Amino acid sequence: MREKAMKSLLEKLELKSKNIGACAGPDAWYEDPKGQELVSFNPTTGEPIATVIQATASTYDRVMNEAGAAFLRWRMVPAPKRGLVIRDLGQVLREVKEPLGELVSLEMGKIKVEGWGEVQEMIDICDFAVGLSRQLYGLTMHSERPAHRMYEQWHPLGVVGVITAFNFPVAVWSWNAAIASVCGDPVVWKPSSDTPLTAIAVQHIANRVMADHGLKGIFCLTIGSGATIGERMINDSRLPLISFTGSTRMGRRVAEVVARRFGRTILELGGNNAIIVTEDADLDMAVRAILFGAVGTAGQRCTSTRRIFMHKAIAAKLTQGLIKAYQQVRIGDPLDDRTLMGPLVTKAAVEDMMAALEKAKEQGGTILYGGKRLPELGEQFVQPTLVKMPAQTEIVHQETFAPILYLMEYEDLDEAIRLHNEVPQGLSSAMFTTDLRQAEKFLSAEGSDCGIANINIGTSGAEIGGAFGGEKETGGGRESGSDAWKQYMRRQTNTINWSRELPLAQGIKFGDG
Amino acid sequence: MTKPVTLATPIEELVREFPESVGFLTRYGIRCLRCGEPFWCTLGELLEAEGISEPEKLLASLNAFLAEPKNA
Repeated sequence: MREKAMKSLLEKLELKSKNIGACAGPDAWYEDPKGQELVSFNPTTGEPIATVIQATASTYDRVMNEAGAAFLRWRMVPAPKRGLVIRDLGQVLREVKEPLGELVSLEMGKIKVEGWGEVQEMIDICDFAVGLSRQLYGLTMHSERPAHRMYEQWHPLGVVGVITAFNFPVAVWSWNAAIASVCGDPVVWKPSSDTPLTAIAVQHIANRVMADHGLKGIFCLTIGSGATIGERMINDSRLPLISFTGSTRMGRRVAEVVARRFGRTILELGGNNAIIVTEDADLDMAVRAILFGAVGTAGQRCTSTRRIFMHKAIAAKLTQGLIKAYQQVRIGDPLDDRTLMGPLVTKAAVEDMMAALEKAKEQGGTILYGGKRLPELGEQFVQPTLVKMPAQTEIVHQETFAPILYLMEYEDLDEAIRLHNEVPQGLSSAMFTTDLRQAEKFLSAEGSDCGIANINIGTSGAEIGGAFGGEKETGGGRESGSDAWKQYMRRQTNTINWSRELPLAQGIKFGDG
Repeated sequence: MTKPVTLATPIEELVREFPESVGFLTRYGIRCLRCGEPFWCTLGELLEAEGISEPEKLLASLNAFLAEPKNA
């Protein structure tokens, strides 16, 4: 993107060359002179886009105080009224879908249609949350005592801490923020240090909506490193829920620290997602789905396809199909309409990918396509890579956040499912088949052990209506749709005695004479 | 290279300032990134968690690697 176009994009989203990284609402941007400067780089060119003055302990506390005060008011606003704020947030997001999506592409490198798709996901979750605001249902139960009524209701929980990763720099915030706010919870957000500008743009949008409703402290931002702001958040008992997206190692740390203070966590951690392609699969469909799953977002989605188990009978044909498809992937500027794969997010990510490929080769892997850096395009460009593995070795068990796809063969379905479930992660999975029995087996209790299991759809590209998350080292959390909202509220069981007696449960007589 | 890496260097800073460290440390079975995000700990804490018995020795090798002309 040329400098003039970039400047215009930043202006549309109220971004300046230097921005403040702590905010609790309209006219509540907090700057501490001690705050360190964070430079956001364009992964396509390696050039700086703009800078952010990061939050400090002092500005973090100011934000937390505002969020805490907002909670006391917000929790008593009827949920359908809270929903109106989210309705308006969705409307503003519709207005800024193009520039915000392009900023996502500019700052983290996913292609433009994926950037726009991410903003669409924000809009979709706002729509979902508006409906949800009238459906925060509790159950009623029949009391065992006469003239008693028993029911449960769901109350707001408190201020929610949201810690997100670079790869979905805006959508994951919205999954949490839209649902939490209709549930009556303000949100304090720590975005990835690789994507601070998209977070600031979102904060400006949220501020606009808060200003229209005379609100403050419902959507808050604290940009800073994990070691400073992240650690502060997970140790902060004013945050009864921490929603964390990131690595398994950090998720374990978050879980331990938050559990120590009896807080709750929603953990969305690593994935090592596989597709089983059976002998009777529609291979054209499978190739297209695998290509999107493994190459989309340059293999940097939590749900990216990383492993393929191919039945021996179709392995050669599928491999050829994939090589042909990979050869056609146009790599380049993510803001160019013709590009299918942009750069990796950082130089470190490139190093991580190359190191993983070295390990794969040491462990018997053969690179069938790709495997190289593309310095002629820029320091952070790589080829999407197909690696044939003789077995599911140690490196295949690990998640490498890059466009590496390991291909392995199998002979019978039980073996394929065993290998599929052998890795420590359990996020997303898929099978391509036209055999109903194999499909049902894959979805059964003895099939995929993942939180997401699909038939004839790839591993990535989930809709907001379902609960998103995974098992095992993926952390067990569920965000977005279905009944994920319950994690943002506290359940209260109420029993009301409208009789003139005082019967005890279980028929106990106590001092009744 | 502007300043040497120490055991107190945060991993977040290490991968930003010295991305080549990522490949170097992977050779020793130590990965600094997962899900594309760096760990929040220091290098010393990461080496300890990974059971590296002589962290100072590995640190010296890392600094020597980073001082090589192609990485500096």
